[in-house]
Amino acid sequence: MSLIGALNVGRTALATHQAALQVTGNNIANAGNADYARQTSQMQPISGRQIKPGVFLGGGVDLTAVQRQVDEALAGRLRASVSDQSGAATAEQWLGRVEAVFNELGDQDLSTQMSAFFNAWSDLANRPQDASLRQVVMQSGSTLAKWFRDVRSDLGHLQIDADTQLQSLTANADRLAQRVADLNQQIVVAEGGTGGMANGLRDQRDTALKQLSELIDIKTVADGGLTNVYVGSEPLVIGVTSRGVALKQETVNGALTSTVVFKSNNGAIKLTGGSLGALNQVRSEDLGGVIDQVDSFAHSLIFELNKVHSSGQGAEGFTGATSTNALNDATAALTDPSAGMKFSPVNGSFVVHVKDKQTGLVSSTLVQVDLDGRNGNDTSLSDLATSMNSISGLSAQVSAGKLTISAAGNNVEFGFSQDSSGVLAGLGVNTYFSGADARDIDLNSALRDHPMLLAAAKNGQPADNQTALAIAAMQTTAMGSLQGRTLNESYQSVIDSLAGKTSAAKSDAEASRVVLETLQAQRESLSGVSLDEEAVNMIKQQRAFQGAARLVAAVDELMKQVLQLV
Amino acid sequence: MAILPTQLARVSNSLRNNVATQTLARTQQSLLEVQNQLATGKQISTPSDDPGAAAIIQQLRKTLEQRQAYSANLQQATDHLSEVDSTLGDLTDLLRQASSIASANVGSDVTPGERQAAATIVQALYNQVLSLGNKQYQGAYLFAGDRSTEAPFIEEAGGIRFAGSDRALANSYDQSTVLPFMVNGAELFGAVSARVQGGVDLAPALTGSTRVADLAGARNSGVNLGPIQLGNGSVAATVDLTGADRVDDILDRINAAGVGGIVASMNSAGGITLSGAAGDNITVREIGGGTTAGDLGILRPVGTGAGAPLAGASAKPRVTELTPLSALNGGAGFDAASGMVITNGQSRATVRFNAAITVGDAINAINGADLGVRAEINAAGTGVNIVNTTEGASMTIAENGGTTATNLGVRSFGPNTPLAELNAAKGVRTVAAADLRIVRSDASSFEVDIDGLNTVQDVINAINAASGGAGITASFATAGNAILLTDTAGGVASPKVLAVNFSEAARDLGLYGPAVGTLVTGADVNAVRADGIFSHLAALRNALQTGDAKTITEASEGLDDDVARITRVRGQTGARVQEFESRQSRIEDQNLATKSLLSNLEDVDYTAAISKFQTLQTTLQASLQSAGTMMRLSLMDFLG
Repeated sequence: MSLIGALNVGRTALATHQAALQVTGNNIANAGNADYARQTSQMQPISGRQIKPGVFLGGGVDLTAVQRQVDEALAGRLRASVSDQSGAATAEQWLGRVEAVFNELGDQDLSTQMSAFFNAWSDLANRPQDASLRQVVMQSGSTLAKWFRDVRSDLGHLQIDADTQLQSLTANADRLAQRVADLNQQIVVAEGGTGGMANGLRDQRDTALKQLSELIDIKTVADGGLTNVYVGSEPLVIGVTSRGVALKQETVNGALTSTVVFKSNNGAIKLTGGSLGALNQVRSEDLGGVIDQVDSFAHSLIFELNKVHSSGQGAEGFTGATSTNALNDATAALTDPSAGMKFSPVNGSFVVHVKDKQTGLVSSTLVQVDLDGRNGNDTSLSDLATSMNSISGLSAQVSAGKLTISAAGNNVEFGFSQDSSGVLAGLGVNTYFSGADARDIDLNSALRDHPMLLAAAKNGQPADNQTALAIAAMQTTAMGSLQGRTLNESYQSVIDSLAGKTSAAKSDAEASRVVLETLQAQRESLSGVSLDEEAVNMIKQQRAFQGAARLVAAVDELMKQVLQLV
Repeated sequence: MAILPTQLARVSNSLRNNVATQTLARTQQSLLEVQNQLATGKQISTPSDDPGAAAIIQQLRKTLEQRQAYSANLQQATDHLSEVDSTLGDLTDLLRQASSIASANVGSDVTPGERQAAATIVQALYNQVLSLGNKQYQGAYLFAGDRSTEAPFIEEAGGIRFAGSDRALANSYDQSTVLPFMVNGAELFGAVSARVQGGVDLAPALTGSTRVADLAGARNSGVNLGPIQLGNGSVAATVDLTGADRVDDILDRINAAGVGGIVASMNSAGGITLSGAAGDNITVREIGGGTTAGDLGILRPVGTGAGAPLAGASAKPRVTELTPLSALNGGAGFDAASGMVITNGQSRATVRFNAAITVGDAINAINGADLGVRAEINAAGTGVNIVNTTEGASMTIAENGGTTATNLGVRSFGPNTPLAELNAAKGVRTVAAADLRIVRSDASSFEVDIDGLNTVQDVINAINAASGGAGITASFATAGNAILLTDTAGGVASPKVLAVNFSEAARDLGLYGPAVGTLVTGADVNAVRADGIFSHLAALRNALQTGDAKTITEASEGLDDDVARITRVRGQTGARVQEFESRQSRIEDQNLATKSLLSNLEDVDYTAAISKFQTLQTTLQASLQSAGTMMRLSLMDFLG
């Protein structure tokens, strides 16, 4: 029992409360920092001495720890929710952009263009002899083709944007994974087995983990001071090492594909959430799927319309015709993949009409297209040229994979009808559209130069309208190549499925935002700084400090008294 | 809106900030949505706003867009037919004028000078009718069918030739209705009413390159290709004929199936014959409700018996321009070398088919002879018709010593011609007693009664029967079209045919000319003549010039028939205009209903939207106020 002892008690109190005030100050300083976890000072009385049996005097107070107020389980859930939310928001944003490309429900969209196109054909059926209506049909076809190309190229650009975005997100994820690994190391060094906590470093690691979870749906497992990060069941960060994240881009079947892989072994990362996962999914499946659908829709439109058109006749006959689609191998059977037909013809035949313009007489010849795969005599492009070349009044040859047919003499013109094989449409002879899908669909340039070749007739009469009528009816005719759906229904289903996906992404984003906000509220409730609380703490610590200072002063007074005794 | 646990232990500043920002952000987002709805008037701006409603909206819009086309088509059809209607009105007026001129000039009190003047007026009427016939509407000739790029009525030496088409254009007026919107000019003007209908079914045989699409099918319902089951009593195999384009493809696939020794070939009846090895008991069955075997004429669920071939019924190949002439008449072909003689008005030509290979070539040979006649395959695809397109000219088609015309079924007058068709369907006028007396060269004679006889051959038989095989033989000419009476009595006089009992039968049968030597050659009394408006007007004009009262009356009667026909067509046209107009008004009604449905789905409900807008405004204001107040409060303010 001594005055020095009492002075000591005052000293511990002064030191401890000064430190506590600093913790409060730190909390107040970080009140605006969203990633900061509030810290509390942990104090403990210093056990005193026994001054006589059974009587203990306290030795003052000691600061034992500065504790971060965090709930690791909540932090884990929060990260999962951040992944979900950021994934859903990314999907919503990108699908919204895809939807905007189509601009359906707007006044100008692809389906309106299709209606205008088919209505133009219907109008041509009213006055097939009218050259101005032919121009309208060609103009609307040209516009429709341009819409297809524009939509397709917009979708292509979106894909490129998505690739760029994927690259930057991947680089970000790689950087963050590395940062977690680095921080792991720093924390281990800093804490050095003391059992204490390097709060600032841990806050920084939590921030890095949260940012990483925005990109990838990670799971974390704490291992002492280390935090290991997993994607699915595969480790991404183990201890102080990151396996790295990279984007592998390859060209498969002419299309660029992107895969997110581990840098260490190029193994694909199975992403299910996060903006990286969502973007990857949108790019390869949703956007890729829509592009495929638009391409195959355009493919069907081109082929089906050309099949009808190539069996029709224009107001004038051909004096020469060259197929628009070049083949790779003119001697291979047309159904052989090596021939390189973009549209598949079937076993059938067509009729060639050769007209003598002076007498007006037409002679007709059947051209067989044997594609039944039997007897090894299936028709090749060269065979076709040979059989057409043998028709009196015509000459036909193949050059550079294209079939060229020309009329012999100035008084001869020719036409086609009743093609049951689809070979004319497949080769691009007497067709309306050129191209094979949405990328290159266009009005056949031969028609643009010679509008009178536009086929409205089916029976060879100059003012017949049966082909125009058949084409006008096509938009509501069920087609085998569209799985028994009509052109309208088929296009509608592209838009509907996109709308469904976008709508689902919207509600996903909304739902996950609610979950995230709720979890965030819980986190803020636990870890957020309350200035009022800190103010109270500050007063408490100030008063405690003042009290301790008073104690020191009192003891000092006592000591002075004692010293005067001397 | 975040769900905040009510038992939150503490409220930190950042929690309060977050709640405030989230609430404000969300309210402002909702406000923006409502603002956008109010500004555009649309409830849904992208399909994903409401995929279900968006799908219906797109469907409804598509329907409206399609109806635009139907509506335009209806308008066009109404305009076109209204133009036709007014033209027909003008035409009727002109013909009535002509008719009244005719009746005014029949009497004997009219001077030739007056008749000449009337003839001039009729000529003027003729010209006006011609210009009406060649009237154009929107750049198309009204009465030219699907050849409307060129004038349909062309003046030629023999009269007016119809160069148009009798196929009227059609268009669609809703998804399932296709209706013609033109009138048949040929029929209206009586321009090509006359044709030699292919009297015989040319029944072409199958060839390897006959297209399946050109088969009428054993049951006349086409050929629907699918799988069939082929059996020989012990094994059965499915032969899939789907995708076969030509008969060769079918034979090929059956042969490739290799069921027993069954081999397929074509038979002369136009069908497919399956013959097997000795033990094969051939069966052919349908599979899965298909009709392939039946359509091909080879359905035989019960076996043919061991070794017996299955001779299929005719698959009825249609005559097309591609049909080889050699395949006609069951593969017997026809007499191509002899040719036939076609006379039309003043034109006459012998058409031969030596170089022709297909029916198309034969048609070209006829059409290329420049006779004002047109050959075409009939609608049923069973034969060839030859149409006289020159109004007022008579057409005959006769043999040139062979059987060409008969083989093609186009001989205009032959042994099989019914008597009722002769003389432009006026028939043969007979009396109850004997109609004609035939006097042999030895002056002996016999009488023949034509009553109750049906065909020319019947008359020939009756004459031969009455002659008793002595002295006179009746037959039908092998070159040209006439009944021939050959005298073998050996007398010095010429044989002759006399009418008895005031019967007109001899004249109506063409047996009025004098004999040449021992041969009496009849006249062709079945010339095919297209009589219509132009020929009647021309006849009236000519008769007025010559003062032929009988012809004037006939022409006038003809014109009255024409007026009756035009009135009938005009009535039909009116009915069609009415139908188009009622369809038009139905479309308008439907559009109204569709638009109101569409509006319900996509247009914003302004009352609801505005009240929502106001509620949100209030909410925003409250949020701002409460956030502002709460955030200002701090214990720090009270620290002294």
